[in-house]
Amino acid sequence: MISDTILNVVDLHKKYGDSIALDGVSFRVRKGETKVIIGPNGSGKTTLLKCLNLLVKPDKGRIWLGNIEITDPRININKIRRKIGFVFQDFNLFHHLTVLNNVMIGLVKVRKLKKHQAYKKAVDALSTVGLDNTLYHKYPAQLSGGQKQRVAIARALAMDPVIMLYDEPTSSLDPQFVNEVLQVIRKLAKNGVTSIIVTHQIDFALEIADEIIVMHKGRIIESGRPTELLSNPQNILTKKILIRNFRTLR
Amino acid sequence: MDFWSNFLINLVQGLTTTLQILVISIPLSIITGFILGFARVYGNKIIFYISTGISTTFRGLPLIVTLLILFFGLADLKIYLSPFWASILGFTLCGGSYISEYVKGAIQSIEQGQAEAARALGMNKLQEIIYIILPQTLIRALPGVSNEIIYMIQYSSLSFVIGVKEIFSVAKTFNSLYFRSIEIFTTVAFVYLLLIAIATLVFKIIENKLKIT
Ligand SMILES: Nc1ncnc2c1ncn2[C@@H]1O[C@H](COP(=O)(O)OP(=O)(O)OP(=O)(O)O)[C@@H](O)[C@H]1O
Ligand SMILES: [Mg+2]
Repeated sequence: MISDTILNVVDLHKKYGDSIALDGVSFRVRKGETKVIIGPNGSGKTTLLKCLNLLVKPDKGRIWLGNIEITDPRININKIRRKIGFVFQDFNLFHHLTVLNNVMIGLVKVRKLKKHQAYKKAVDALSTVGLDNTLYHKYPAQLSGGQKQRVAIARALAMDPVIMLYDEPTSSLDPQFVNEVLQVIRKLAKNGVTSIIVTHQIDFALEIADEIIVMHKGRIIESGRPTELLSNPQNILTKKILIRNFRTLR
Repeated sequence: MDFWSNFLINLVQGLTTTLQILVISIPLSIITGFILGFARVYGNKIIFYISTGISTTFRGLPLIVTLLILFFGLADLKIYLSPFWASILGFTLCGGSYISEYVKGAIQSIEQGQAEAARALGMNKLQEIIYIILPQTLIRALPGVSNEIIYMIQYSSLSFVIGVKEIFSVAKTFNSLYFRSIEIFTTVAFVYLLLIAIATLVFKIIENKLKIT
Protein backbone atom coordinates (compact mmCIF):
# COMPACT_ATOMS: atom_id res chain seq x y z
CA MET A 1 0.00 0.00 0.00
CA ILE A 2 1.22 3.49 -0.78
CA SER A 3 2.40 4.93 2.48
CA ASP A 4 0.41 8.16 2.38
CA THR A 5 -2.91 6.44 1.71
CA ILE A 6 -5.27 7.46 4.48
CA LEU A 7 -8.41 5.70 3.30
CA ASN A 8 -8.54 2.52 1.29
CA VAL A 9 -11.88 1.21 0.08
CA VAL A 10 -12.03 -2.19 -1.54
CA ASP A 11 -15.00 -3.66 -3.39
CA LEU A 12 -17.93 -2.27 -1.38
CA HIS A 13 -21.34 -3.75 -1.98
CA LYS A 14 -24.65 -2.67 -0.46
CA LYS A 15 -28.23 -3.66 -1.19
CA TYR A 16 -31.40 -2.26 0.34
CA GLY A 17 -33.77 -5.18 -0.06
CA ASP A 18 -33.52 -5.97 -3.73
CA SER A 19 -32.26 -2.59 -4.88
CA ILE A 20 -28.53 -2.36 -5.37
CA ALA A 21 -27.02 0.84 -3.96
CA LEU A 22 -23.32 -0.05 -4.20
CA ASP A 23 -22.02 -2.56 -6.66
CA GLY A 24 -18.29 -3.00 -6.14
CA VAL A 25 -16.77 0.37 -5.27
CA SER A 26 -13.04 0.70 -4.71
CA PHE A 27 -10.84 3.78 -4.35
CA ARG A 28 -8.10 5.32 -2.27
CA VAL A 29 -7.68 8.69 -0.68
CA ARG A 30 -4.26 10.12 0.03
CA LYS A 31 -3.46 12.35 2.99
CA GLY A 32 -4.41 15.94 2.19
CA GLU A 33 -6.30 14.96 -0.92
CA THR A 34 -9.66 16.41 -1.92
CA LYS A 35 -11.87 13.84 -3.55
CA VAL A 36 -15.17 14.87 -5.08
CA ILE A 37 -17.94 12.42 -5.88
CA ILE A 38 -20.53 13.34 -8.47
CA GLY A 39 -23.30 11.37 -10.11
CA PRO A 40 -27.03 11.40 -10.75
CA ASN A 41 -29.66 10.98 -8.01
CA GLY A 42 -29.79 7.49 -6.61
CA SER A 43 -26.35 6.55 -7.87
CA GLY A 44 -25.22 5.56 -4.36
CA LYS A 45 -23.19 8.59 -3.28
CA THR A 46 -24.78 8.98 0.14
CA THR A 47 -24.69 5.25 0.74
CA LEU A 48 -21.00 5.20 -0.09
CA LEU A 49 -20.21 8.08 2.24
CA LYS A 50 -22.21 6.55 5.10
CA CYS A 51 -20.44 3.23 4.60
CA LEU A 52 -17.16 5.00 5.27
CA ASN A 53 -18.06 5.61 8.92
CA LEU A 54 -20.38 2.60 9.06
CA LEU A 55 -23.54 4.63 9.55
CA VAL A 56 -24.54 2.21 6.82
CA LYS A 57 -23.13 -1.28 7.07
CA PRO A 58 -21.80 -2.58 3.76
CA ASP A 59 -22.84 -6.12 2.79
CA LYS A 60 -19.42 -6.88 1.47
CA GLY A 61 -16.07 -5.17 1.02
CA ARG A 62 -13.37 -3.78 3.25
CA ILE A 63 -12.34 -0.33 4.39
CA TRP A 64 -9.06 0.74 5.95
CA LEU A 65 -8.58 4.04 7.72
CA GLY A 66 -4.84 4.47 8.03
CA ASN A 67 -3.71 0.97 8.93
CA ILE A 68 -6.88 0.02 10.82
CA GLU A 69 -9.47 -2.07 9.07
CA ILE A 70 -12.73 -0.50 10.20
CA THR A 71 -14.82 -3.25 8.59
CA ASP A 72 -13.21 -5.72 10.99
CA PRO A 73 -16.14 -6.82 13.18
CA ARG A 74 -13.96 -6.75 16.30
CA ILE A 75 -13.31 -3.03 15.96
CA ASN A 76 -15.01 -0.52 18.28
CA ILE A 77 -16.66 1.64 15.66
CA ASN A 78 -17.33 4.51 18.08
CA LYS A 79 -13.58 5.00 18.46
CA ILE A 80 -13.28 5.22 14.67
CA ARG A 81 -16.24 7.49 14.07
CA ARG A 82 -14.91 10.22 16.31
CA LYS A 83 -12.00 10.55 13.90
CA ILE A 84 -14.19 10.85 10.83
CA GLY A 85 -15.92 14.19 10.40
CA PHE A 86 -19.32 13.86 8.79
CA VAL A 87 -21.32 16.78 7.43
CA PHE A 88 -24.94 16.05 6.52
CA GLN A 89 -27.04 17.58 3.82
CA ASP A 90 -29.66 18.61 6.41
CA PHE A 91 -27.11 19.81 9.01
CA ASN A 92 -28.55 17.62 11.79
CA LEU A 93 -27.50 20.07 14.47
CA PHE A 94 -28.79 19.07 17.90
CA HIS A 95 -31.95 21.16 18.32
CA HIS A 96 -31.76 21.40 22.09
CA LEU A 97 -28.18 22.63 22.28
CA THR A 98 -26.72 26.05 21.64
CA VAL A 99 -24.17 26.56 18.89
CA LEU A 100 -21.34 26.28 21.38
CA ASN A 101 -22.74 23.14 23.00
CA ASN A 102 -23.35 21.53 19.62
CA VAL A 103 -19.63 21.80 18.99
CA MET A 104 -18.59 20.95 22.55
CA ILE A 105 -20.73 17.90 23.21
CA GLY A 106 -18.60 15.48 21.21
CA LEU A 107 -15.45 16.83 22.82
CA VAL A 108 -16.82 16.55 26.35
CA LYS A 109 -18.88 13.37 26.16
CA VAL A 110 -17.00 11.35 23.57
CA ARG A 111 -13.42 12.59 23.82
CA LYS A 112 -13.84 13.31 27.55
CA LEU A 113 -12.02 16.62 27.39
CA LYS A 114 -12.28 19.02 30.30
CA LYS A 115 -14.89 21.75 29.82
CA HIS A 116 -12.32 24.54 29.36
CA GLN A 117 -10.29 22.52 26.85
CA ALA A 118 -13.44 21.67 24.93
CA TYR A 119 -14.49 25.31 25.03
CA LYS A 120 -11.19 26.41 23.58
CA LYS A 121 -11.32 23.86 20.78
CA ALA A 122 -14.93 24.73 20.02
CA VAL A 123 -14.15 28.42 19.76
CA ASP A 124 -11.20 27.60 17.51
CA ALA A 125 -13.36 25.52 15.21
CA LEU A 126 -16.14 28.09 15.16
CA SER A 127 -13.76 30.86 14.21
CA THR A 128 -12.24 28.66 11.51
CA VAL A 129 -15.68 28.43 9.91
CA GLY A 130 -16.08 32.19 10.39
CA LEU A 131 -19.03 32.08 12.75
CA ASP A 132 -19.62 35.33 14.57
CA ASN A 133 -19.22 34.93 18.33
CA THR A 134 -22.50 36.73 18.95
CA LEU A 135 -24.14 33.52 17.69
CA TYR A 136 -22.44 31.14 20.14
CA HIS A 137 -25.37 31.05 22.53
CA LYS A 138 -28.11 30.87 19.91
CA TYR A 139 -30.04 27.69 19.17
CA PRO A 140 -29.96 26.10 15.68
CA ALA A 141 -33.53 27.25 14.99
CA GLN A 142 -32.32 30.84 15.25
CA LEU A 143 -29.66 30.48 12.55
CA SER A 144 -29.70 30.79 8.77
CA GLY A 145 -29.03 27.69 6.70
CA GLY A 146 -25.50 28.83 5.91
CA GLN A 147 -24.76 29.44 9.58
CA LYS A 148 -26.18 26.05 10.53
CA GLN A 149 -24.02 24.23 8.02
CA ARG A 150 -20.94 26.11 9.17
CA VAL A 151 -21.68 25.11 12.78
CA ALA A 152 -22.09 21.51 11.58
CA ILE A 153 -18.69 21.72 9.92
CA ALA A 154 -17.20 23.16 13.11
CA ARG A 155 -18.76 20.36 15.16
CA ALA A 156 -17.04 17.78 12.96
CA LEU A 157 -13.81 19.73 12.71
CA ALA A 158 -13.41 20.23 16.46
CA MET A 159 -12.98 16.47 16.89
CA ASP A 160 -9.66 16.66 15.00
CA PRO A 161 -10.81 14.27 12.27
CA VAL A 162 -8.32 12.54 10.01
CA ILE A 163 -10.81 12.94 7.18
CA MET A 164 -13.91 15.05 6.53
CA LEU A 165 -16.88 13.63 4.65
CA TYR A 166 -19.42 16.07 3.21
CA ASP A 167 -22.74 14.81 1.82
CA GLU A 168 -24.14 17.50 -0.46
CA PRO A 169 -23.31 20.21 2.07
CA THR A 170 -25.03 22.97 0.11
CA SER A 171 -28.06 21.18 -1.31
CA SER A 172 -30.41 22.26 1.48
CA LEU A 173 -29.31 25.88 1.38
CA ASP A 174 -31.02 28.88 -0.14
CA PRO A 175 -28.85 30.12 -3.01
CA GLN A 176 -27.59 33.18 -1.15
CA PHE A 177 -25.95 30.98 1.53
CA VAL A 178 -24.19 28.50 -0.76
CA ASN A 179 -21.01 30.48 -1.17
CA GLU A 180 -20.24 31.06 2.51
CA VAL A 181 -20.30 27.27 3.02
CA LEU A 182 -18.27 26.45 -0.09
CA GLN A 183 -15.78 29.08 1.04
CA VAL A 184 -15.25 27.20 4.32
CA ILE A 185 -14.88 23.82 2.63
CA ARG A 186 -12.45 25.33 0.15
CA LYS A 187 -10.39 26.89 2.93
CA LEU A 188 -10.17 23.62 4.86
CA ALA A 189 -9.20 21.66 1.76
CA LYS A 190 -6.53 24.22 0.91
CA ASN A 191 -5.18 23.90 4.46
CA GLY A 192 -4.66 20.20 3.89
CA VAL A 193 -7.74 18.71 5.50
CA THR A 194 -8.33 15.40 3.73
CA SER A 195 -11.85 15.58 2.31
CA ILE A 196 -14.42 13.61 0.39
CA ILE A 197 -17.17 15.83 -0.95
CA VAL A 198 -20.39 14.66 -2.56
CA THR A 199 -21.87 17.51 -4.53
CA HIS A 200 -24.00 18.51 -7.48
CA GLN A 201 -22.10 21.83 -7.79
CA ILE A 202 -20.01 20.81 -10.78
CA ASP A 203 -18.10 24.06 -11.11
CA PHE A 204 -17.08 23.82 -7.46
CA ALA A 205 -16.10 20.18 -7.96
CA LEU A 206 -13.90 21.02 -10.92
CA GLU A 207 -12.28 23.89 -9.07
CA ILE A 208 -11.51 22.13 -5.80
CA ALA A 209 -11.01 18.43 -6.59
CA ASP A 210 -7.68 16.68 -6.81
CA GLU A 211 -9.69 13.84 -8.23
CA ILE A 212 -13.32 13.50 -9.28
CA ILE A 213 -15.17 10.22 -9.00
CA VAL A 214 -18.23 9.79 -11.20
CA MET A 215 -20.82 7.32 -9.91
CA HIS A 216 -23.71 5.70 -11.67
CA LYS A 217 -25.93 2.86 -10.48
CA GLY A 218 -23.67 2.00 -7.57
CA ARG A 219 -20.46 1.88 -9.56
CA ILE A 220 -17.59 4.22 -10.25
CA ILE A 221 -17.86 4.73 -13.98
CA GLU A 222 -14.96 7.11 -14.28
CA SER A 223 -12.47 8.99 -12.20
CA GLY A 224 -9.66 11.41 -12.81
CA ARG A 225 -8.28 14.89 -12.41
CA PRO A 226 -10.75 17.65 -13.28
CA THR A 227 -8.69 18.71 -16.30
CA GLU A 228 -8.58 15.15 -17.60
CA LEU A 229 -12.32 14.68 -17.20
CA LEU A 230 -13.06 17.99 -18.85
CA SER A 231 -10.76 17.57 -21.80
CA ASN A 232 -11.23 13.91 -22.39
CA PRO A 233 -14.25 12.34 -20.68
CA GLN A 234 -14.35 8.60 -21.35
CA ASN A 235 -17.97 8.07 -20.46
CA ILE A 236 -20.95 9.63 -22.16
CA LEU A 237 -22.60 10.26 -18.78
CA THR A 238 -19.57 12.12 -17.49
CA LYS A 239 -19.72 14.31 -20.54
CA LYS A 240 -23.41 14.97 -20.02
CA ILE A 241 -23.01 15.84 -16.35
CA LEU A 242 -20.07 18.13 -16.99
CA ILE A 243 -21.60 19.94 -19.92
CA ARG A 244 -25.02 20.33 -18.38
CA ASN A 245 -23.63 21.78 -15.21
CA PHE A 246 -20.39 23.55 -15.90
CA ARG A 247 -21.21 27.12 -16.72
CA THR A 248 -17.96 28.14 -18.38
CA LEU A 249 -17.64 25.00 -20.44
CA ARG A 250 -18.41 25.12 -24.15
CA MET B 1 -68.17 23.51 66.84
CA ASP B 2 -70.10 25.13 64.02
CA PHE B 3 -70.36 23.63 60.55
CA TRP B 4 -67.78 25.82 58.83
CA SER B 5 -64.95 25.44 61.31
CA ASN B 6 -65.56 21.73 61.56
CA PHE B 7 -65.73 21.37 57.78
CA LEU B 8 -62.67 23.50 57.11
CA ILE B 9 -60.52 21.71 59.66
CA ASN B 10 -61.40 18.38 58.09
CA LEU B 11 -60.99 19.83 54.61
CA VAL B 12 -57.44 20.90 55.40
CA GLN B 13 -56.67 17.42 56.66
CA GLY B 14 -58.15 15.99 53.47
CA LEU B 15 -56.17 18.41 51.38
CA THR B 16 -53.00 17.38 53.16
CA THR B 17 -53.67 13.76 52.24
CA THR B 18 -54.49 14.69 48.63
CA LEU B 19 -51.27 16.68 48.39
CA GLN B 20 -49.24 13.83 49.88
CA ILE B 21 -50.66 11.43 47.31
CA LEU B 22 -49.98 13.85 44.46
CA VAL B 23 -46.51 14.85 45.57
CA ILE B 24 -45.50 11.21 45.61
CA SER B 25 -47.43 9.88 42.61
CA ILE B 26 -46.77 12.71 40.14
CA PRO B 27 -42.96 12.29 40.06
CA LEU B 28 -43.34 8.50 40.18
CA SER B 29 -45.74 8.53 37.24
CA ILE B 30 -43.44 10.79 35.22
CA ILE B 31 -40.50 8.48 35.88
CA THR B 32 -42.64 5.42 35.10
CA GLY B 33 -43.92 7.09 31.93
CA PHE B 34 -40.40 7.81 30.68
CA ILE B 35 -39.16 4.32 31.50
CA LEU B 36 -42.17 2.71 29.80
CA GLY B 37 -41.96 5.08 26.83
CA PHE B 38 -38.27 4.45 26.20
CA ALA B 39 -38.75 0.72 26.77
CA ARG B 40 -41.48 0.69 24.14
CA VAL B 41 -39.22 2.36 21.58
CA TYR B 42 -35.78 0.98 22.40
CA GLY B 43 -36.53 -2.28 24.18
CA ASN B 44 -35.92 -5.70 22.71
CA LYS B 45 -38.91 -7.92 21.97
CA ILE B 46 -39.47 -9.03 25.56
CA ILE B 47 -39.13 -5.56 27.04
CA PHE B 48 -41.34 -4.18 24.29
CA TYR B 49 -44.13 -6.65 25.03
CA ILE B 50 -43.93 -6.14 28.78
CA SER B 51 -43.94 -2.35 28.60
CA THR B 52 -46.62 -2.21 25.93
CA GLY B 53 -48.69 -4.69 27.96
CA ILE B 54 -48.47 -2.57 31.11
CA SER B 55 -49.28 0.62 29.29
CA THR B 56 -52.19 -0.85 27.34
CA THR B 57 -53.67 -2.48 30.43
CA PHE B 58 -53.65 0.58 32.65
CA ARG B 59 -54.88 2.87 29.91
CA GLY B 60 -57.62 0.37 29.22
CA LEU B 61 -58.89 -0.10 32.77
CA PRO B 62 -61.09 2.56 34.32
CA LEU B 63 -58.98 4.02 37.12
CA ILE B 64 -61.65 3.21 39.64
CA VAL B 65 -61.38 -0.48 38.71
CA THR B 66 -57.60 -0.36 38.98
CA LEU B 67 -57.89 1.10 42.48
CA LEU B 68 -60.40 -1.54 43.58
CA ILE B 69 -58.20 -4.33 42.23
CA LEU B 70 -55.08 -2.95 43.89
CA PHE B 71 -56.79 -2.59 47.24
CA PHE B 72 -59.44 -5.31 47.52
CA GLY B 73 -58.21 -7.65 44.80
CA LEU B 74 -54.64 -7.84 46.04
CA ALA B 75 -55.88 -8.24 49.61
CA ASP B 76 -57.61 -11.43 48.52
CA LEU B 77 -54.21 -12.62 47.39
CA LYS B 78 -52.82 -11.74 50.80
CA ILE B 79 -51.01 -8.69 49.51
CA TYR B 80 -52.08 -5.88 51.79
CA LEU B 81 -51.61 -2.32 50.67
CA SER B 82 -52.88 0.58 52.73
CA PRO B 83 -55.51 2.70 50.95
CA PHE B 84 -52.93 5.47 50.72
CA TRP B 85 -50.27 3.34 49.02
CA ALA B 86 -52.78 1.48 46.88
CA SER B 87 -53.94 4.78 45.42
CA ILE B 88 -50.38 5.96 44.86
CA LEU B 89 -49.65 2.73 43.02
CA GLY B 90 -52.84 3.08 40.99
CA PHE B 91 -52.17 6.70 40.02
CA THR B 92 -48.57 5.93 39.16
CA LEU B 93 -49.51 3.01 36.91
CA CYS B 94 -52.36 4.85 35.23
CA GLY B 95 -50.58 8.21 34.88
CA GLY B 96 -47.33 6.54 33.87
CA SER B 97 -49.10 4.53 31.17
CA TYR B 98 -50.64 7.63 29.64
CA ILE B 99 -47.41 9.59 29.93
CA SER B 100 -45.58 6.76 28.16
CA GLU B 101 -47.79 7.44 25.13
CA TYR B 102 -46.63 11.05 25.01
CA VAL B 103 -43.03 9.98 25.55
CA LYS B 104 -43.20 7.38 22.80
CA GLY B 105 -44.75 9.88 20.41
CA ALA B 106 -42.11 12.45 21.31
CA ILE B 107 -39.23 10.03 20.71
CA GLN B 108 -40.67 8.97 17.39
CA SER B 109 -41.12 12.57 16.30
CA ILE B 110 -37.38 13.22 16.59
CA GLU B 111 -35.79 13.06 13.14
CA GLN B 112 -33.50 10.14 12.36
CA GLY B 113 -30.77 12.68 11.60
CA GLN B 114 -30.35 13.55 15.29
CA ALA B 115 -29.35 10.00 16.16
CA GLU B 116 -27.21 9.76 13.03
CA ALA B 117 -25.32 12.90 13.97
CA ALA B 118 -24.76 11.56 17.48
CA ARG B 119 -23.38 8.31 16.12
CA ALA B 120 -21.23 10.13 13.59
CA LEU B 121 -19.56 11.92 16.51
CA GLY B 122 -18.73 8.54 18.04
CA MET B 123 -21.40 8.38 20.72
CA ASN B 124 -22.53 4.94 21.78
CA LYS B 125 -26.23 4.07 22.04
CA LEU B 126 -26.48 5.06 25.71
CA GLN B 127 -24.78 8.43 25.17
CA GLU B 128 -27.00 9.05 22.17
CA ILE B 129 -30.12 8.40 24.26
CA ILE B 130 -29.02 10.34 27.32
CA TYR B 131 -27.48 13.41 25.71
CA ILE B 132 -29.47 13.76 22.49
CA ILE B 133 -32.77 11.89 22.52
CA LEU B 134 -33.86 12.23 26.18
CA PRO B 135 -33.56 16.04 26.41
CA GLN B 136 -35.48 16.51 23.18
CA THR B 137 -38.09 14.02 24.35
CA LEU B 138 -38.53 15.98 27.59
CA ILE B 139 -39.21 19.16 25.65
CA ARG B 140 -41.58 17.56 23.17
CA ALA B 141 -43.51 15.46 25.71
CA LEU B 142 -43.97 18.27 28.20
CA PRO B 143 -47.37 19.61 27.02
CA GLY B 144 -48.81 16.09 27.09
CA VAL B 145 -47.28 15.36 30.46
CA SER B 146 -48.71 18.51 31.99
CA ASN B 147 -52.14 17.57 30.69
CA GLU B 148 -51.84 14.17 32.29
CA ILE B 149 -50.79 15.71 35.60
CA ILE B 150 -53.92 17.86 35.55
CA TYR B 151 -56.02 14.74 35.03
CA MET B 152 -54.22 13.09 37.92
CA ILE B 153 -55.12 15.96 40.21
CA GLN B 154 -58.76 15.53 39.25
CA TYR B 155 -58.69 11.74 39.44
CA SER B 156 -57.05 11.77 42.86
CA SER B 157 -60.62 12.23 44.13
CA LEU B 158 -61.32 8.63 43.08
CA SER B 159 -59.26 7.25 45.92
CA PHE B 160 -62.29 7.82 48.18
CA VAL B 161 -63.60 4.46 46.89
CA ILE B 162 -60.90 2.59 48.76
CA GLY B 163 -61.30 4.70 51.85
CA VAL B 164 -58.60 7.33 51.58
CA LYS B 165 -59.62 10.40 53.59
CA GLU B 166 -58.74 12.97 50.95
CA ILE B 167 -60.66 16.18 50.25
CA PHE B 168 -63.38 14.66 48.14
CA SER B 169 -64.19 12.00 50.73
CA VAL B 170 -64.31 14.70 53.42
CA ALA B 171 -66.82 16.55 51.25
CA LYS B 172 -68.94 13.46 50.75
CA THR B 173 -68.95 12.68 54.45
CA PHE B 174 -69.95 16.22 55.39
CA ASN B 175 -72.61 16.26 52.74
CA SER B 176 -74.25 13.18 54.20
CA LEU B 177 -74.09 14.71 57.70
CA TYR B 178 -75.21 18.25 56.92
CA PHE B 179 -76.82 18.16 53.45
CA ARG B 180 -75.28 21.52 52.60
CA SER B 181 -74.32 20.39 49.12
CA ILE B 182 -73.85 23.77 47.48
CA GLU B 183 -71.42 25.13 50.08
CA ILE B 184 -69.56 21.86 50.45
CA PHE B 185 -69.03 20.96 46.83
CA THR B 186 -68.39 24.52 45.68
CA THR B 187 -65.66 24.81 48.27
CA VAL B 188 -64.13 21.53 47.12
CA ALA B 189 -64.42 22.54 43.48
CA PHE B 190 -62.59 25.74 44.32
CA VAL B 191 -59.76 23.80 45.97
CA TYR B 192 -59.34 21.57 42.90
CA LEU B 193 -59.37 24.59 40.60
CA LEU B 194 -56.69 26.19 42.71
CA LEU B 195 -54.50 23.07 42.58
CA ILE B 196 -54.90 22.85 38.82
CA ALA B 197 -54.16 26.54 38.36
CA ILE B 198 -50.94 26.12 40.32
CA ALA B 199 -49.95 23.01 38.33
CA THR B 200 -50.69 24.76 35.04
CA LEU B 201 -48.60 27.73 36.06
CA VAL B 202 -45.67 25.56 37.14
CA PHE B 203 -45.70 23.68 33.83
CA LYS B 204 -45.94 26.93 31.85
CA ILE B 205 -42.85 28.17 33.65
CA ILE B 206 -40.98 24.93 32.95
CA GLU B 207 -42.09 25.00 29.31
CA ASN B 208 -40.84 28.55 28.90
CA LYS B 209 -37.56 27.68 30.55
CA LEU B 210 -37.01 24.79 28.15
CA LYS B 211 -38.14 26.67 25.07
CA ILE B 212 -35.49 26.54 22.38
CA THR B 213 -36.47 28.82 19.55
N1 LIG C 1 -32.51 3.61 3.62
C1 LIG C 1 -32.75 3.15 2.39
N2 LIG C 1 -33.66 2.17 2.19
C2 LIG C 1 -33.91 1.69 0.97
N3 LIG C 1 -33.32 2.13 -0.16
C3 LIG C 1 -32.42 3.10 -0.04
C4 LIG C 1 -32.08 3.67 1.24
N4 LIG C 1 -31.16 4.63 1.06
C5 LIG C 1 -30.92 4.65 -0.27
N5 LIG C 1 -31.66 3.75 -0.93
C6 LIG C 1 -31.63 3.46 -2.38
O1 LIG C 1 -30.29 3.19 -2.73
C7 LIG C 1 -29.93 3.84 -3.93
C8 LIG C 1 -28.76 4.78 -3.69
O2 LIG C 1 -29.21 5.85 -2.85
P1 LIG C 1 -28.26 7.01 -2.33
O3 LIG C 1 -29.05 7.82 -1.38
O4 LIG C 1 -26.99 6.42 -1.84
O5 LIG C 1 -28.01 7.80 -3.67
P2 LIG C 1 -27.42 9.26 -3.86
O6 LIG C 1 -26.43 9.14 -4.97
O7 LIG C 1 -26.95 9.81 -2.60
O8 LIG C 1 -28.67 10.07 -4.39
P3 LIG C 1 -29.01 11.64 -4.22
O9 LIG C 1 -28.19 12.38 -5.21
O10 LIG C 1 -30.47 11.70 -4.51
O11 LIG C 1 -28.70 12.02 -2.82
C9 LIG C 1 -31.19 4.54 -4.41
O12 LIG C 1 -31.82 3.69 -5.35
C10 LIG C 1 -32.03 4.69 -3.18
O13 LIG C 1 -33.39 4.65 -3.50
MG1 LIG D 1 -27.50 11.51 -1.42
